[in-house]
Amino acid sequence: MARGVNKAIIVGTLGQDPEVRYTANGGAVANISVATNETWRDKATGEAQERTEWHRIVMFGKLAEIAQQYLKKGSQAYFEGRIQTRKWQDQSGNDRYSTEIVANEMQMLGGRSGGAPMDSSSQPQGGQSQSRPATAETAPMDDGFDDIPF
Amino acid sequence: MSRGINKAVIVGKLGRDPEIRYAANGNAVASISVATNETWKNRETGEAEQRTEWHRIVMFGRLAEIAQQYLKKGSQAYFEGRIKTNKWQDQSGADRYTTEIVANEMQMLDRRADSD
Repeated sequence: MARGVNKAIIVGTLGQDPEVRYTANGGAVANISVATNETWRDKATGEAQERTEWHRIVMFGKLAEIAQQYLKKGSQAYFEGRIQTRKWQDQSGNDRYSTEIVANEMQMLGGRSGGAPMDSSSQPQGGQSQSRPATAETAPMDDGFDDIPF
Repeated sequence: MSRGINKAVIVGKLGRDPEIRYAANGNAVASISVATNETWKNRETGEAEQRTEWHRIVMFGRLAEIAQQYLKKGSQAYFEGRIKTNKWQDQSGADRYTTEIVANEMQMLDRRADSD
């Protein structure tokens, strides 16, 4: 029987800094939460609607370490991996299921933040941190299309 | 802020016949359960291991009707869509989450039995 295809592609923004832990054998495991937005126009009112989808993404080993080092809250990145649903038991013994994306490929998008500190842990007022203003380095990719000489 | 990309591609086999229901406005909603298999070699024993992943896939409208008409348990098909997590409350009022794939494209991969 064919194995089939199980692939997920996410391009989105991290809602918080990566959470990294280490297994008994020293392997890193990074958990991140990534938002994508879906927009559509309400047929009845004609108004633009938006819905945010949050994705749990997990990475292992070297990729987890890279994520810890370079990704943080507000980072934009590309993730590719497989969809996995884990079964677990809650405190009262009921079966529960959690679905996540196990990424085996990650690419950082947008410019480097230039080392400017973005210490989310020292902001007790909470709430969403303001998105960083776009710099020249974070210009959209399609800006360069005008320069392609063919 | 950019919208981002939220895409899932599944090629697998249906574990049971599609379940179809109709919304109040008459639109069809089809729910299916699709299996993909992951295989790997155990590093210690060298033996091949296999794990089956089950995906909840939903389709709406015309696509749901096509799924009902042509897909059945054991059918192999390609699905493309977006990942969506629904929040709901269980009997004790606790928040629960169910993740599914909302497919907007489907292609049957079986040979038609009736035309051979």
